[in-house]
Amino acid sequence: MRILRYLLHRLAFVLPQLLGIVLVSFLLVKSIPGDPAVLMLGPTATPDAISSLRGQMGLDQPLYKQFILYVDHLLHGDLGTSWQTTRPVLDDLLQRFPATLELVTFSLVVAIVVGLWLGIASALRPNGWIGRLTDIYGLSAGALPDFWFALVLIFVFYTLAHWAPAPLGRLDIAVLAPEPVTGFMTIDTLLAGDMEAFRSAVSHLILPVLTLGLINAGPIMKMTQSSMEKMLASDASRYEVLCGIPQRLVTRHALRNALPSIVTIVSVLYGYLIGGAVLVEIVFSWGGAGQYAVQGVLNSDIYPVLGFVLFSAIFSLIVYIVVDLVYVLVDPRISY
Amino acid sequence: MSIAVGAERPVAAPNVAEDLLRVEGLRVVFPTSAGGSRTVLRGIDLSVRPGEIMGLVGESGAGKTTLARSILGAPPVPGRVAGGRVVFRGRDILALPEKQLRRLRGHRLAIVVPNPRGELNPTVRIGDQIATMASVHLGLDRKAAKARALAMLRAVQIPDPERRMNAYPHELSGGMAQRAVIAIALICDPAFVISDDATSGLDVTVQAQILDLLRKLAAEHGSAMLFITRDVGITAHFCDRVAVLYNGEIMEVADRNALFLAPAHPYTLLLLAAFSHNPGLRQGWSVPASTPPSPAACIYSGRCPLAQPLCRDEKPPLAELGPGHAVRCHFPVRR
Repeated sequence: MRILRYLLHRLAFVLPQLLGIVLVSFLLVKSIPGDPAVLMLGPTATPDAISSLRGQMGLDQPLYKQFILYVDHLLHGDLGTSWQTTRPVLDDLLQRFPATLELVTFSLVVAIVVGLWLGIASALRPNGWIGRLTDIYGLSAGALPDFWFALVLIFVFYTLAHWAPAPLGRLDIAVLAPEPVTGFMTIDTLLAGDMEAFRSAVSHLILPVLTLGLINAGPIMKMTQSSMEKMLASDASRYEVLCGIPQRLVTRHALRNALPSIVTIVSVLYGYLIGGAVLVEIVFSWGGAGQYAVQGVLNSDIYPVLGFVLFSAIFSLIVYIVVDLVYVLVDPRISY
Repeated sequence: MSIAVGAERPVAAPNVAEDLLRVEGLRVVFPTSAGGSRTVLRGIDLSVRPGEIMGLVGESGAGKTTLARSILGAPPVPGRVAGGRVVFRGRDILALPEKQLRRLRGHRLAIVVPNPRGELNPTVRIGDQIATMASVHLGLDRKAAKARALAMLRAVQIPDPERRMNAYPHELSGGMAQRAVIAIALICDPAFVISDDATSGLDVTVQAQILDLLRKLAAEHGSAMLFITRDVGITAHFCDRVAVLYNGEIMEVADRNALFLAPAHPYTLLLLAAFSHNPGLRQGWSVPASTPPSPAACIYSGRCPLAQPLCRDEKPPLAELGPGHAVRCHFPVRR
């Protein structure tokens, strides 16, 4: 019940937090030079046409009025319209955000599996060959740019070996996309019972997921290794060894005690990758939310940018609330 | 004549075969950051008979904890056993494969640790930590292990044991946590228990209760005990025999009465004098540390008020003074 009260308490702060985030990003986006009216009408537009379009878009209003107007629209579920796609931003994001989320979620699963395994193995034997391997791996994962790694994977597995499909989106062109339910292509194809589309979706996921997964396993591995080393050297672990507890059990207990810091780094990565996966999205023509936002920034299309910020802010807040609940479950000493 | 460190004969117990556990010439070294190594235990000889409570007294840094953990084959990191044997029921357990040694630890040889709230696993319920010992070492299933753990909590007289089963270490008082650690040590009916300064962090009243409990339970379970403490006063009414550890060497071993009524080593006298109310006695026996003695010298010669030239040239052996009474001194104090 204490957890429930804590949850309500946290949720009560979500709205003001979001308002603050929207305000800051609104000011930042507005401070980017560039006039959408000029861009929309093209180089041959007359000054009259431009100023009338500016009036239409409310760009001649003072900044605070523009902001109030935007928030008012937000409260009615209107995130504005993208002049590039000429569609409501909400519709665009509802289609693109799950694409990014699917990519990032599967990548994170790969990163967690690889990072945890290597981190634990190297913490158990810091001077063994796995310890040396993880040192090299941690260094390379931190140093290699993800888009470069993606291009190498495409070159090897698509161009040379023909094992992977062309890096063009989430499905083969010949495959009909299923009716979107969750927006996760793998889940939607399964719900539609379309196995061919499912296979296509999975095969398109493999290379980008490997790219992001293997690169982002680096920080998870480092965090696992250092906190596991600390836990295995702790008094509690030493005491278990003195009591003749088998090493497997000692390791399991140490992992449980190391979990909070690992969960923290995973949650940070999760929030970061929503926007941070954009280069990989571009390489694979993924059509995700990050790509959408970057296009918006480059073309003074502010509503997609603000919508993206809002979506990822909500997502990050949810992730952080979940993480705080995980802390409570893992460590009985924490209470809210 | 010179005697190599650690090569002395084990303290002559009248009948070696009677010993439950015998430490022979145990040496433990720690690597130093400079690349060398520091010897923390310099050839410890010690024997404990079945059912006996053997006291081990020494000041901080004498190597008490290192000895306790080395006997279990797990010296504090990064130390390692550089020589000697630990013979338990006729077998050198340090020579056993890690897996067999692991099965002895906590099962036949158990340890009671100080500062239990730091040593217990903070995220596992007390009942589960105790029950784990029973399931790991005795092969009990979950239910039987839990029942045994509860019985053990009752035996260590924790108030409201059913509730404490589900408590986490941070929810216990220091005294209760100490009782929980004793329960962990005794749940498998070990033949040998090491109590490593187990009462050091407790109030005096709680300390007395814990000591009574330890002695009572050790007697009930038929366990022999190595009782390690900084407090020479406790050993006077708690132990059958007492050994005095100084800087990694045993300085004197004797039956309790012999040690307290006829202490022979100047260091033992210092320890006893420190408890004296007579300021003259206290000052007479305490000499500030001077230059560290050379490796060939008696390790205590730098602080010894009775030191002679011989003490700085030659290390005394742990020599028998009387039946069951051995002392490492060229000039033992006689009365």
